[in-house]
Amino acid sequence: MEFINPDVVDLSRFQFALTALYHFMFVPLTLGLTFMLAAMETVYVVTGRQIYRDMAQFWGKLFGINFAIGVATGITMEFEFGTNWSMYSHFFGDMFGTPLAIEGLMAFFMESTFVGLMFFGWDRLSKQAHLAITYLVALGSNLSALWILIANAGMNMPEGAHFDPETMRMQFESFVDLVFNPDAQAKFVHTSVAGYVSAAMFVMGISAFYLLRGQHRQFAARSFRMAALFGIISTVAVITLGDVLGRLDYEKQPTKIAAIEGLWHTSNPPFEPWIVAALPDDAKQENRYEIGVRLVLTPLITHTFDQPITGMHELEEEAGPRIRSGIDAVAALRRYGVTHSSMDLAQFTAHEQDMGYGLLATRHAPGQDITAIPADQIDDVVRATQPDILPNVFVTFWSFRLMVFLSLWFFALFAISAYLSLKRRLERSRLLLKLCMWSIPLPILATEFGWITAEAGRQPWTVFGWLPTFLSASSHGVSYMVFSLIGFVLLYSVFIAAELYLMFKFARLGPEHDSMEPHAPAASRASAFDMRPMAS
Amino acid sequence: MTKLLRLAGLAVILVVSLLFAVFVGDQGPWYFAWVIGTVMIILISGAGAIMLDAQSSLSSDGEI
Repeated sequence: MEFINPDVVDLSRFQFALTALYHFMFVPLTLGLTFMLAAMETVYVVTGRQIYRDMAQFWGKLFGINFAIGVATGITMEFEFGTNWSMYSHFFGDMFGTPLAIEGLMAFFMESTFVGLMFFGWDRLSKQAHLAITYLVALGSNLSALWILIANAGMNMPEGAHFDPETMRMQFESFVDLVFNPDAQAKFVHTSVAGYVSAAMFVMGISAFYLLRGQHRQFAARSFRMAALFGIISTVAVITLGDVLGRLDYEKQPTKIAAIEGLWHTSNPPFEPWIVAALPDDAKQENRYEIGVRLVLTPLITHTFDQPITGMHELEEEAGPRIRSGIDAVAALRRYGVTHSSMDLAQFTAHEQDMGYGLLATRHAPGQDITAIPADQIDDVVRATQPDILPNVFVTFWSFRLMVFLSLWFFALFAISAYLSLKRRLERSRLLLKLCMWSIPLPILATEFGWITAEAGRQPWTVFGWLPTFLSASSHGVSYMVFSLIGFVLLYSVFIAAELYLMFKFARLGPEHDSMEPHAPAASRASAFDMRPMAS
Repeated sequence: MTKLLRLAGLAVILVVSLLFAVFVGDQGPWYFAWVIGTVMIILISGAGAIMLDAQSSLSSDGEI
């Protein structure tokens, strides 16, 4: 009997991707804006100048809108693991559940508790105590991200766990290995700092709007300068930390790095070009219309001039013996489940590391039963499974490039903005101010592309090398998946519309208190899309 | 007495920071880099704002 319904798997993937992408529109701003608020409030406490309190309160209000809606969109995903990915939850729940539970208990509650104190404590707490609360909110929101990314790192580079043939699942082994997983470290820092970039662009863009309108000039100038400096350092950091992640992928996830670089054949160091643009064709396994820069790829990925990067064709070839060994592992495990004999266990243990590759062959086995493959057809099954080890190259290749191109744009924009702000020539550079304003959504888009790169590049696995995605989904009907998908799209679209409406409304209204321009006209009367200077 | 307590408090923070740096710096260098980097970003960003205050007070041209 066939038990894998590819439509249900695809719909489950689509639903999770959609809810995660929606949720991730709110997350980066929360991660970064909390630390920007902390920076503004720190200046207020150090200098005692009221303008910085006005800034912390105004940007805090926009943070509050984003936080309230962002939290709501994140909760559903934790339930999706149980409803749509029950096989995955059974297999990896021991590892995945631990960081998620800590995230809920520690970071999320910590963040939520202190958010209330931050909003309502301005006149009830001392300056120093309120500042400490703001830092705790920032720490809490980033610790939330940390535990989520520790869980995610387990899927990409499972460490601190072993497969138990008695329970048929990954068993938790080492909390230290889980927390200090190199992928978790690099991914957390990269994601968190990407949030800083998003927040800096958000503050800089809205401040640019006020400067273009000639309103709240002192308020906007200070916000702009802080955001530009915050942004330029963060952008440099996010690019550097992206390189760390790339290096890790090169070592641990060669299929992902080969797909990211559109590398069908093993590279020829040091001359192999870095492909700037191409149209990867997954079906024909080749690139069309390649534009590349020679001598860049090898040092970029390997940090050497002589190490090759294995291409996708060669990775497919290398997977052949692992698939064959994995088929033996799955067959031995199946027998062990019935006989519990030490001989079957020993045979499974000998091939255990390749079990995932055996499971990958399930789709090509007669009746999706590995044990039913006749001996003379094993070669055919292995050959049919080999291309399955690769992710979708077109999606991985382009999502990575769009993220990189956008981050280079941010670097240029923040660098010029910081320079002009330091030279106090901002108001003369109206084009720059307009570019800053229109660039507000781009860092959020870049983080979405980054997430697509990481997760599309992880395919075909939910737990890399251990559990294929098509075996991870629940056994729902297609109609259930379509119905719930429509529900999510409608609900989340309402959330996005509400967020955009409130953000536009309060951003146009401007700061409620502006101690340096107490009688500034409300910006709300002007359209955010009208760039003519306001008549004075 | 207050000064002594404050000094003791700072000494405790220093010791905890050093232990944190030694352990996390060894086990999780990127976590440590995040802590140091975030503090640095906040300080530089704040310094930029204070510098703008100083620039404004030294100049009367009203430019920002």
